[in-house]
Amino acid sequence: MNAPFFKFEYFNSDVSLIIAFAIGIAFGIALEKGGFGRATILASQFYFTNMRVLKVMFTAIVTAMLGLYFLSVIGFVDLSLVYLTQTNLLPMAVGGLIAGLGFIIGGYCPGTSMVAVATGKLDALVFVAGMIFGILVFGEMFPGIEEFFNSGYMGTITLPSYFNLSYGLVVFLVVLMAVGAFTAAEWGEKKMAAKTGKEIL
Amino acid sequence: MTSITKTIIHAFEKDEGHEHIHIAAKPYSNPYLVGIGLGLVLLTAFVIMGRGLGASGALSTLVATTVNTIAPDHATGNNFYSEYLGDGKTNPLMDWLIFQTLGVLAGGFLSGTISHRVFKSVEKGPRISTKMRFVYAFIGGGLLGYGAKLARGCMSGQALSGGAVLNLGSWVFMMMVFVGGYAAAYFMRRQWT
Amino acid sequence: MKKFWSNLSLNKKLVLIAITLGVIALFAGDPYGGTTIKVNEKSIALSTVDNSDKVSVTELADWIIKDKSDFELVDLRSEEKYNEYTIPGSQCIPLPQISSSDLLRNQKIILFSDDDVASSQAWFILKSKNYKGVYILDGGLNAWKEKILFPKAPVNASKDELVEFEKMKEVAKFFGGQAQTDSSVTETKQEIKLPTTTGGTTKTTAPTAKKKKREGC
Repeated sequence: MNAPFFKFEYFNSDVSLIIAFAIGIAFGIALEKGGFGRATILASQFYFTNMRVLKVMFTAIVTAMLGLYFLSVIGFVDLSLVYLTQTNLLPMAVGGLIAGLGFIIGGYCPGTSMVAVATGKLDALVFVAGMIFGILVFGEMFPGIEEFFNSGYMGTITLPSYFNLSYGLVVFLVVLMAVGAFTAAEWGEKKMAAKTGKEIL
Repeated sequence: MTSITKTIIHAFEKDEGHEHIHIAAKPYSNPYLVGIGLGLVLLTAFVIMGRGLGASGALSTLVATTVNTIAPDHATGNNFYSEYLGDGKTNPLMDWLIFQTLGVLAGGFLSGTISHRVFKSVEKGPRISTKMRFVYAFIGGGLLGYGAKLARGCMSGQALSGGAVLNLGSWVFMMMVFVGGYAAAYFMRRQWT
Repeated sequence: MKKFWSNLSLNKKLVLIAITLGVIALFAGDPYGGTTIKVNEKSIALSTVDNSDKVSVTELADWIIKDKSDFELVDLRSEEKYNEYTIPGSQCIPLPQISSSDLLRNQKIILFSDDDVASSQAWFILKSKNYKGVYILDGGLNAWKEKILFPKAPVNASKDELVEFEKMKEVAKFFGGQAQTDSSVTETKQEIKLPTTTGGTTKTTAPTAKKKKREGC
């Protein structure tokens, strides 16, 4: 058995679309169960009243990272065939900043807005309309910013490769960092709850 | 669909006043368990498809396809739109992300229905009107759409999926999202708290 | 120990599991499996018996003419020889660099050098690194020159062989070669100029054209 299965042509791209739908369902269920279909919960991350976003996100990253790492080490998954987006340093930093602003102003991110729409949140519909508008503006502006968009190109590069550390060491450090962040988050939440007396959702 | 538009228009006409939503629904699960579940879904995508999850890409494909229908030369001449239009041989809407996003809609609805968390509402804090909430939602959406395209991905594609494979650009993006969010939180406090 | 474990809250248990896995990761090694070579002698020996890992020059010529692009053609010789003449559509990866190349494990890779020696060595190296679709161009560039570029007219040929030769004449023309109808051709082979190739440059753009499936967000 060779993984990733699709890269070794165990099935064709039509079947992959069905798989996409199935994976999407699981994705949607996980997001909804996490409370991510609600802007008030998502936003409370930035007021330290409810740190769910950080907890769910980093737990997911650590879980997938550990899973992928160990499956690759035993040779089940060919890590070199797993997709890695190229890194364009400055555009991604600026894009992240703008997206962060959009996150706190709009209250959603693209994935969670879908879940919110599915559970009846009207503001999520407006948010999606806003996203479409934002993408359109980007597309129309593209010839002008194409150069910036492609600047800071660093190829496809991972943290281990950039910092010249072994992959396993970076995995360990990420786990440590996540645990540290969770501890701080739990402490922060309790303090805020004690201050405001509000229950953590 | 028309009832939803009616509700939106109605919300703009009358200020609904303070509307903090109370849920008589089931409480949310332990965030760490949810995170593990989400991580396993992501891992499944990596193992089966060799790629991670995403969201903004589906909307980009929609936008590009619509622009292509209205003004095909403009779309194919634009390097951004043409990326999403494929090679001209297959329908660009037969796209992995579009099907995945449809799944997200279905899954969110399914999970919400089972937990009695599906109902028409507006998510907002107690100190803001629905009208202003919609204005901010649109602006926020616009910024997020723009920023996600500039960074070649959104929270699902870059932060989550790229983060798990230790992609440098993805981690930079993720950090900056938190910076941006916390930086503007003070200015948005009236909307949420 | 068991009591300690059951007394922990769920969250603390998860943290402990995560940190344990993280520590194991410190010693577990390189996930890319880059430097180690695992040799499965049986499977390698088996695949050499049925010739399923060889591609003939006529097959390759056919694929190139039909513009098939689902494979990577690799020239294992030095760069100078590559620039002098190479099979159209090939990329130059000298043998010493074959294990550190960009080639992916799920690609169909056809290796060739002047004869079969270097290509067999490269085949073995790639097979040991778990590459799935590795093939040797049977006879290498020598066979290519002999059969494709400068096919010789068969002596005392049957009707079928003559028909076949006519086809080969067209193939030779396609690749810039020339069919040899004269039997005293061996000395003039040196003078006949090898067709100039633009094969190298076209290959670098092809891989990007193949990646039509977007995989980003």
